[in-house]
Amino acid sequence: MNRILLGLGVLGLVVALGLPGQSAPTGPQPGGTLIIGRGVDSVTLSPYATAAPDAEVIAHIVETLYELTPDGRIVPKLAESMPRVSADGRTMTIRLRRGIRFHDGTPFDAYAVKWNFDFILNPENRVPFRTILLGEVTGVEVVDRYTVRLALRRPFVPLLAHLTHDFLAIHSPAAVERAGGMRPPNGEPYGRQPVGTGPFRFREWIRGDRIVLERNSDYWGPRKPLLDQIVWRSIPDDGARVLALEGGQVHVAVRVPPRETTRLALNRALRIDRTNSVRTIFIAFNNQRFSDVRVRQAFNYAVNKRAIVQTVLGGAARVSDAPISPGIVGYAPVQPGGWPYDVPRAKQLLAEAGHGGGLTVTLLHPTGRYVQDAAVAAAVQAQLRAVGINARLQTMEWAAYLAYTNQPVDRTPVEMFMLGWGTVTGDADYGLYSLFHSSQWAPAGFNRAFYRNPQVDQLLDQARSETNPARRADLYKQAMTLIWRDAPWIFLHSESQTTGVRREVQDLVVHPTERILAHTAWLRR
Amino acid sequence: MWRYILKRLLLAVPVLFGVSVVVFVAIRRIPGDPAQIMAGQAATQEVVEEIRRSLGLDQPLPVQYLYFLRNLLRGDLGRSLFNGAPVVEELAQRFPRTVRLAFASLLVATFIGVPAGIAAATHRLSWVDTLVMVLALAGVSVPVFWLGLNLILVFSVRLGWLPAFGYETGRHLILPSVTLGVASAAVIARMTRSSMLEVLGQDYVRTARAKGLPERSVVYRHALRNALIPVVTILGLQLGTLLSGAVLTETVFAWPGIGRLLVEAVLARDYPVVQGTILLIATTFVVLNVAVDILYAFLDPRIRYT
Repeated sequence: MNRILLGLGVLGLVVALGLPGQSAPTGPQPGGTLIIGRGVDSVTLSPYATAAPDAEVIAHIVETLYELTPDGRIVPKLAESMPRVSADGRTMTIRLRRGIRFHDGTPFDAYAVKWNFDFILNPENRVPFRTILLGEVTGVEVVDRYTVRLALRRPFVPLLAHLTHDFLAIHSPAAVERAGGMRPPNGEPYGRQPVGTGPFRFREWIRGDRIVLERNSDYWGPRKPLLDQIVWRSIPDDGARVLALEGGQVHVAVRVPPRETTRLALNRALRIDRTNSVRTIFIAFNNQRFSDVRVRQAFNYAVNKRAIVQTVLGGAARVSDAPISPGIVGYAPVQPGGWPYDVPRAKQLLAEAGHGGGLTVTLLHPTGRYVQDAAVAAAVQAQLRAVGINARLQTMEWAAYLAYTNQPVDRTPVEMFMLGWGTVTGDADYGLYSLFHSSQWAPAGFNRAFYRNPQVDQLLDQARSETNPARRADLYKQAMTLIWRDAPWIFLHSESQTTGVRREVQDLVVHPTERILAHTAWLRR
Repeated sequence: MWRYILKRLLLAVPVLFGVSVVVFVAIRRIPGDPAQIMAGQAATQEVVEEIRRSLGLDQPLPVQYLYFLRNLLRGDLGRSLFNGAPVVEELAQRFPRTVRLAFASLLVATFIGVPAGIAAATHRLSWVDTLVMVLALAGVSVPVFWLGLNLILVFSVRLGWLPAFGYETGRHLILPSVTLGVASAAVIARMTRSSMLEVLGQDYVRTARAKGLPERSVVYRHALRNALIPVVTILGLQLGTLLSGAVLTETVFAWPGIGRLLVEAVLARDYPVVQGTILLIATTFVVLNVAVDILYAFLDPRIRYT
C-alpha cells in the first residue's frame, strides 16, 4: 500500500515538473538549413521559366508586385497598395514601396519595374509566358520614381492576378546586365544566378543535384527570414525520396505517393501535409467527334469519381464540382459533390443517343505525370464497361503525349484523353478562357477538346473586362454552369499535394499553386 | 602492336559516325517536340514556333546534321535545349561521377565475384558450389531498384550508418556501388567458375599436381592466371556497361551521372544532350574494347597482334 502511495507521489512529482523530453513549445528560432527533396531540378530561375519547380525557387529570391495568399486573396508585396485602375479600365497605376534594395545593393524602384516588364513585353526576347500573362499590356510608363503605370489594349481584369505570378517577379536589371543578359530560350546566362529583393539570396546551383539559397539578413519585409539556408535536392525516385525523409536526410519530401501515406502517418517524426492544388484533372472528349451532349453526359454519369478519389487516390484529391478548383478567384461550385454517379441514367442517355448496343472508344492517358494517372484511367475503363462502353486504354510517354493531343481538329485521331490543368495565376480567366474559349482551339491555344459554345465565349470575354468583382464572379458562374451542362470533359478531381514534412519544421507553407514556401519557416531544435 | 592499336582506333571513326547518324535521326523521328515541352503545356503555337526557330529546329534534317557535324569537329557538342548549358561542360561535370561509381562497382564486383567463382570451382558439386551458384542467380535476378531501396532502408533509415543519396564523399559511394556491383559480381562469379573448371581439367594442372605441388599453389599460381583471361573480357564489357551510366542506380541514389542525364534528356527531347551522351558512351565502349584486346596480349603470351 505504502509502495503504491509512494509510486503515486513520484508520478505526481514527475507530472508537476514536466515529463522528461517534453519541453515547453518555444517561439521561432533562427538558424539551420532546411533541405527539401523533390523529383526534378529547376530549368531556369529567370522570367523564361515555365514550370512550378522553377517558380518555387524564384519565389524565395525574387519578389512580385502582388502576392496571392494560400487562401486565394491578392495582397500588395513590392507594391505599396492595391493598384488604381482608370475608369475606362485601360490603365493600371501602381505605387511601389520605398527603400528596398536588390541583393546586389542597387535600388528597387519604378525604373527597375519598367525594365523588367519591357524586357518581357519585347517580342524579340521570346519570353514564353509573355502572351499569357502580359498579352493585353501595351506599355509601361514611369510616373515618378515609385510609381508605374501599365497601359492596356482593352480592359483586362485578370492582370492583377497575373502580377502575383513568379514569372513576373522583379529581377535586378544591373545583375542581369552583369551576368551577361538573358537569352531565349531559357534566360541564359543570368537564369543560373538570379538576384532579387527576396528573403533569400542565391548561392549555388549544381545542375541535377541541388540549389542552395542563403538568408538575406537585410530583408526589407516585416517578417525576417530565420533559416540560414534552404537547399533543394533532386531525388527523382519516389521511394528513395520518402526514405531520405524517414532517415532525416531531407526535412521535406514533395509528391509523396499515396501508397506510402498510411505507413508514414504512423511515423511520429513526420507529418503528412495535404493541401489542395489548383490543378484539375479531367478526361476531355474530342467534342467535334462526340457531338451529342447526351453521350458526353452519359460518360459523366457512368464514372464514380468519389470511389476513384477514395480508393485509387487514397483520399488525396477532391471531386470536381466545377471546371476549376477552389482557391481560384472566380471559382464557385456548380454542382456540389460533383457530377452524380448514376448508372441507369447513363444507360438511358446512351440508348436515347442510339448507342444502346454499346460503344467503343480509345481513351488516352499519360503515365506518371499526375498522381496515379494510369490507375485512374483503368478505374474509369472498368466503370464505363458497366454501361456498355468499351474503352481501350492507350498511353504514351509525356513528350509524345503532348504533341499527339495537340493536332488540329481536321487531323487529330484523338477521341478522349486525360489531362491536368493548373490555374497557377490564381484567376479563373486562365483556367477557363484557355480551355473553353473557341478562339483557343488546338494547336493555336489549349482548347484541345475543340469545345465551342458562343454563349460561353461571350461570358468569358465579358468577364475579362468586368471590374466589379461580384458581377465578374457572376459571369464566371454562368459560364461554368453552361460548360458543366455541355460536359465537354468527364470532370474528375483536383489533386492534393501530398508532402511529407519532419516534425521539427515549422511555419512551412504548401501553396495551392504547387509551390513549397519557406520564407518564414524555422527548425525546432 | 602500335600499328594494331592505331588501326583499331581508326576503325572506330566510321563506327562513331554511324552511331551519330542513327542517334541523330532516331531521336528526331520519335514523336514529341522539344519546343513544345520547353514552352510549357500552356504555350500558344506562336510561342512554340518562335522557340523552334530560335533552336534551329525549323531547318531540314540534313542541314541540322551538317551543322552538328561541323560543330563536332570543333569539339563543340552544342548546348542543352533546356537549360542552355554547353553539352561538353555538362558531360565533363557528370562523366567523372559515373566513372567513380563504375570503378567502385567493378571493384565490389571483382572482390566478390572472383573469389566466389574460385571457391565454387575448387569445391565443385559441394554445398559451397551450390550456395555460390544460387547467390549468383539471385544476384543477376534481383531488380536494382528493389535492392537499392532495401539497402537504403536498412543502412540509412534503420541503422543510420550511411547516407541515402548524394555523391560528395566516399561514404556516399558505398550503397550505390554495392547495389550496382552485385549483378556484375554474379556474372563474374559464374564466369570465373566455368573458366576455372576448364583450366583445372587441363594437362599442365595435372602435371603440377603430379609433381607434388600443394593445392593452393596449383590453384593460385598455375590455374588462376589462365582462368582469368576470359574473365578479363567480361570485366571489360561490364565496365563498359557500368560506364554507360547505371540509369536505375543513379536514379535511386540521386547520383547525378550520365545515366540520369541521358534518360532525362530523352524524355525532354533534348537533342544535343542525347547526341553528346550517346557519342561519349559509344567512344567509351570502343576504347574499352581496344584496351581489353591489348590487355589480352599481356596476359596471354600466345596472343600477338600484327
